[in-house]
Amino acid sequence: MANTEPPPIAIAEGIGHITRYFLREVGSLFWFIVNTFEETFERIQHGRVPFRAASFFRYTERAGVDSVPLVGLVSFFLGLTMALLTGYQLQRFGTERLIPGLVAIAFTRELGPLLTGIMLAARSGAAFTAELGTMQVSEEVEAIEAMGIGPLRFLVAPRMLALVLLMPCLSTVSNIAAIFASSLVCKAFFSIAFPYFLDLVKDSLLIRDIITGILKSFLFGLLIAAIACYRGLTVKGGAAGVGSSTTSSVVTAITAVIGFDTLYNVVYTTFYPT
Amino acid sequence: MVELRDVHMRFEEKKVLDGVSLKVKPQERLVIMGQSGSGKSTILRMILGTLRPDSGSIFFKQFEITRLSRRKLQRVRQHIGMVYQYSALLSSRNVRDNVALPLEELTDKSQSEIDETVDEKLELVGMEDSKDLLPEELSGGMRKRVALARALVLEPELLLLDEPSAGLDPVIASVIDELIISLSEKSKVTSITATHEMDSAFRIATRMAMLYQGKIIEEAESEKFKHSKNPVVAQFVSGSTEGPILEGSLDAITKK
Repeated sequence: MANTEPPPIAIAEGIGHITRYFLREVGSLFWFIVNTFEETFERIQHGRVPFRAASFFRYTERAGVDSVPLVGLVSFFLGLTMALLTGYQLQRFGTERLIPGLVAIAFTRELGPLLTGIMLAARSGAAFTAELGTMQVSEEVEAIEAMGIGPLRFLVAPRMLALVLLMPCLSTVSNIAAIFASSLVCKAFFSIAFPYFLDLVKDSLLIRDIITGILKSFLFGLLIAAIACYRGLTVKGGAAGVGSSTTSSVVTAITAVIGFDTLYNVVYTTFYPT
Repeated sequence: MVELRDVHMRFEEKKVLDGVSLKVKPQERLVIMGQSGSGKSTILRMILGTLRPDSGSIFFKQFEITRLSRRKLQRVRQHIGMVYQYSALLSSRNVRDNVALPLEELTDKSQSEIDETVDEKLELVGMEDSKDLLPEELSGGMRKRVALARALVLEPELLLLDEPSAGLDPVIASVIDELIISLSEKSKVTSITATHEMDSAFRIATRMAMLYQGKIIEEAESEKFKHSKNPVVAQFVSGSTEGPILEGSLDAITKK
């Protein structure tokens, strides 16, 4: 019987190809962000606004305000489930009064930004990629460039700024919705009254947790917007290309958000272990 | 005004331009002819600097396009107007906003000055009554005219036109052609048109160049070009199936 196992050299070659592709994509994304900043600041240096306020507010409305119901609802349900599941376990040891702190810390520091990031990558990131991808295949982006207008400054910068500024706001909505949901569970199932619940939350939450969450949100916003716009502006292959780039944008952005979150936690707990 | 020196370009395995050299004088209306996919649009994109050649140099006035930094290139592009084959109007903006875009983004003009210039250019192309329409509500000919108005709004010195009359009915095609001629005569605009529409080409051109297998094989004034002895040019002008252009490929088609 013939040996069907791939030879070690082929495996090494495969790993090499994947690594090269990964590094090339990371490098391209990095320069994409740098060039966007450069083009935007050049414009500011010349004493002109980099993009129109109306265009920025259109994206903040679409990416931010319109995402509030989704982010709020999903976080509410998750907060509810988390409080219920952990509550029954903690009740066995008579420590159910730890639920408020647990949910508050988990969401402010970790789950709020992470969940919001995943939802924004799927909702707004996909929309940005599809929009820019369609403009790319119909030569609209090239036409903008041909007029002497910087496409990164004109198309990417307002979208990027909208997501960067809105991510912390939406994370806060997520935190509030989850904490509110857990307060309902605590009241209904574990006899923890609202004032006592609030005291427990205040006692357990540290300013550091809140700052960590907000900082992460800013970075997730930048990451999602950069990946979405980069994928949109590098679309090739017509309508099918727009479809596959949109899928790729969502998958890459979600993976990047989770990966970056892990990296952040590892670095953070190494330097601030307590 | 424009000069290409020994320009080479390859897309993966396909050699598109193989040592193209071309000079365009001020106020000239040069038409580049060639089969579909022969590299005509590639030349226009290279002059604009949105595509970089593998080797060779491209000059616009005193600027070497192929060596300019991004910032300088953006400034030079403001002197060049481009009309794309499929118009490339921004689909989310109406006609007025499409034409106003370069003025809003690149000049310090006031809103009333912008409105005045937009009205003037739209009137020039006969589109003043369609200001509030979106590109999807326009016919192909109307889109081309709006694209032309947008290309002219910054008063360019050079106008690049990619298949300006492709897909249009003969009357609208003639209107576009006449517009290009009158612009070049009144505003002293130099133009380079890439097309394979013979009627349109002979109407517009003061000089013509034939691009074949990556090289400029003939360059002459319209009348001389029409009666060229070059078998490729002669076949292309007459539209005959007999000749060097389809040699080999015609056999392959008929065998199928």
